[in-house]
Amino acid sequence: MELPNSSIQQIKTKINENTSFLDELGESVSQRCSKVQKKLNAFISFDPQFIAEQIEGIKNTVHNSKNLSLLGVPFALADNISTSEQKTTCASKFLATYQPPFDARVTSILKANGAIAAGKTNMNEFGVGCSGDSSYFKAVKNPCDTKHTSGNGAAAAVLTGAVKLSLASDALGELRQAASYCGVIAIKPTYGRISRRGLLDYASSLEQIGIISNSTGELAAVMETLFGYDPEDVSTLDAKVPAYSLMLDKNTNKIHAAVPEDWSDAPYLQDHIKILFQEQINKLEDLGIKIDLISLPHFRYASTAATIISAVEAFSNLANYDGIRFGYRGEAKHLQEMYTQTRSEGFSSKLKKFLTFGSLISTANYYHDYFLQSQKMRSLITIELDTCLQKYDLLLTPTTPFTAPKLDHPSPMNGELADPAGFYTAAANLAGLPALTFPVNGSGLPFGLHFMAKRENEIELLKTALLLEKEISFQKPEFDI
Amino acid sequence: MQEFETVIGLEVHVELLTKTKMFCGCSTAFGASPNTQVCPLCLGLPGGTVPELNRKAIEYTIKAAMALNCSITEEITFDRKNYFYADLPKGYQISQFFYPMGTGGYVEIHLNGSTKKIGIRQIHLEEDTGKLLHLGNIISSPYSRVDFNRAGVPLVEIVTDPEVRSAEEARLFLQKLRSILRYIEISDCKMEEGSMRCDANISLMPLGSKEFGNKTELKNMNSFRSVYKGIEYEVERQRNILLEGAEVTPQTRHWDESKGLTKAMRSKFVSADYRCFPDPAIPPFDPPQEWLEEIRESIPELPDSRFTRFVREYELPPYDAEVLTGSREMADFFDAVLTLYNEPKNVSNWIMSEFLRLLNSTNTEISECRIKPEDLGELLNLMDKEVISGKIAKGVFEEMFASGEKPEDIIKKKGLVQISDENTLSKIIDSVLEGNPSSVEDFHSGKNKAMGFLVGQVMKETKGKANPQLVNKLLKEKIEK
Repeated sequence: MELPNSSIQQIKTKINENTSFLDELGESVSQRCSKVQKKLNAFISFDPQFIAEQIEGIKNTVHNSKNLSLLGVPFALADNISTSEQKTTCASKFLATYQPPFDARVTSILKANGAIAAGKTNMNEFGVGCSGDSSYFKAVKNPCDTKHTSGNGAAAAVLTGAVKLSLASDALGELRQAASYCGVIAIKPTYGRISRRGLLDYASSLEQIGIISNSTGELAAVMETLFGYDPEDVSTLDAKVPAYSLMLDKNTNKIHAAVPEDWSDAPYLQDHIKILFQEQINKLEDLGIKIDLISLPHFRYASTAATIISAVEAFSNLANYDGIRFGYRGEAKHLQEMYTQTRSEGFSSKLKKFLTFGSLISTANYYHDYFLQSQKMRSLITIELDTCLQKYDLLLTPTTPFTAPKLDHPSPMNGELADPAGFYTAAANLAGLPALTFPVNGSGLPFGLHFMAKRENEIELLKTALLLEKEISFQKPEFDI
Repeated sequence: MQEFETVIGLEVHVELLTKTKMFCGCSTAFGASPNTQVCPLCLGLPGGTVPELNRKAIEYTIKAAMALNCSITEEITFDRKNYFYADLPKGYQISQFFYPMGTGGYVEIHLNGSTKKIGIRQIHLEEDTGKLLHLGNIISSPYSRVDFNRAGVPLVEIVTDPEVRSAEEARLFLQKLRSILRYIEISDCKMEEGSMRCDANISLMPLGSKEFGNKTELKNMNSFRSVYKGIEYEVERQRNILLEGAEVTPQTRHWDESKGLTKAMRSKFVSADYRCFPDPAIPPFDPPQEWLEEIRESIPELPDSRFTRFVREYELPPYDAEVLTGSREMADFFDAVLTLYNEPKNVSNWIMSEFLRLLNSTNTEISECRIKPEDLGELLNLMDKEVISGKIAKGVFEEMFASGEKPEDIIKKKGLVQISDENTLSKIIDSVLEGNPSSVEDFHSGKNKAMGFLVGQVMKETKGKANPQLVNKLLKEKIEK
């Protein structure tokens, strides 16, 4: 069977027709993951034995689990999402051998719905950024061109069909950037839609677990399963979860989208992306989407404000990495020395720079000038976007100013505070709005169209994605596995 | 000699009587084996999220803030206080730095017959830390262990204005504070068990000056007595330094109970930047108005208004009222006795002498005591009806205290009913007069003492049960005949 071409529904039907299909499925997942791993280094943990055990488990209970929504669906989790049966390393030396004592909420939900955990995907250390160059377990190569980064393993694993869906975190846009680099669909839902329990997050107020998929319909099904209030996470939304799959088929009113008039001011914006994006605007207008250029004066400061806020939250969120209760511990005679050794040796120098920055700007001397200013900017951007989305259904931009950077030339940076890759994506995190990236193919590497919608209005994003899927003869990027 | 004014500000920490910790379901019970009341959350393991807030902890803090006459914050927010220490699992403490639960309150103390208000600057909710265990003292111990049972227990911190002027005022303040917090049943306030802890900021300034002198922070005072003694010592120490023309070094000092002196711990204000910022994982929340009303209505009559009522309505001396309202149980007991026996001063005398004596000598809490208020009322009624004498009543009361039996039962069982029958008493008196002719003669020769002796003989014959007034009257009649 060709896993990449089978839908969630097809997998389920085949299992229900004949249980022995499960063996074939397990074998296929293992082989596929194994190839992807060899070629791209997409996984940190991948174990055929563990996949086989899960297949056995499903076999034994299949008579009770026929209707499970994700029966037999192979998925991957980024390695900062807790799994009690596999290591959770955050792609760091610090947690290189750490196995959490509990499952993340999303892990439990996927398990309970019959899905198969294929592996833990590679990422930037602690999920900070999407440059692909800060994993303790080495970089992930882009399936479309192995000389380039894939941003993270989650996107690469979905594009190559190693798994049907994968989950990863998104604090400044990391998930959507990687999806853009690899040519897959990804959604970062409204803040609070998915429980963060068990996510080893670095920036709690910005970071959400998002979903990567090859198909809008399947994305909708997974969202229905994962969304919902969690009493164990006070930051989750206590809101009704819509039946996205059913709503997708309903007719859409004419879509009215806005584009920031200064969208092309993004630093390092590649010329061909400028042209491609303009072409896409024309195509969308041909599809009947009405598009206005509007003024969003604060939008351009989003990634800088988000970087500062995330750095402060990260230094605090990662303060529990002290070598006392878990993870790496440096050799030392005294407590103070233990902290120094543990954190000096357990974190990469890139991460230490980031944490030091966060620690510095949260001291009384800098708090007002940096952190508080950034929080004020966050409020301004939130108001600006909320107001814009009162009038428009969507806010449209490119997902990243450039296609996947070369592995030996990570994200172009020239002394800026913020990673330029987050120029378009960080605003959704600041405002807690839902955002989706949809792949576009030009010649060369893929890139994504980025849509933001009103709070809790993910359905608008799904409907737009479905429209594009149907109308713009959507072609998956080419890759060779 | 130069005169100084003492300026003291107190910081009081009180553990709340919630059954579970602030951000997880672990028990808060005191005295369990180390690290048996912990979970991934309060151990600060990666991926822990803040669950639904502990409503009881918030309710108790609001209740305390109201009882201390504070105004309540409109929005409840939590902040992180960041620092590294081995007993702090997350590397930060969740507290209310920017917007305390209550501000601008006061507590009244009674001093030398007048009333003084001590301002409450703020009251806020935070989580407790773990505890370090050493072999001997911290310096010589070859290693240290950490017990995290206490980590995450909800703690209320109450900070006074620098309006306390002496060790005596500090002691009175703490006693009143404890009384109020026990009245509202939010903490057991046991200084010995650490559920109430007090630090004192102490400085001296020349009498009449408006500028505070250098202060020291005094810690490790584990009883009201040591608060008093510690402050007395520290004030004297500072006075001597100033009289010598030297300067007080701002520092943290430890009260050494066994040696009766204070010792420097570390220089203060060197590294005290806690990098406080709003907790990014806990959304702010507005307490509903109805809930606040409910909490306000649940506050019982507090010691001060009860004191006033006891003085006004019952016409008790202030001293009696102060003692009786010192604890809610005692005041409730007093009020309950009055419903059966409405002689306030009489009841007060009994409680303040007999009852307190027994409670103290047997080290019994009033809540554990076996005497019911209605039984004391009944006993006093029996005395007034001359069923028993006052002397007998004291014995019966002791019996009641020991066994919990009703006074009627004890009197009946032991045959203690007062002999008030004239015929019976006449016969006994006759035989006493007959048997003590010399005393009769003494009486007639003007020695009044003899009368006392004869009464005593009658009492002896009747085992103390004779009605003393009647004995006096009959004896007089007979002897003067």
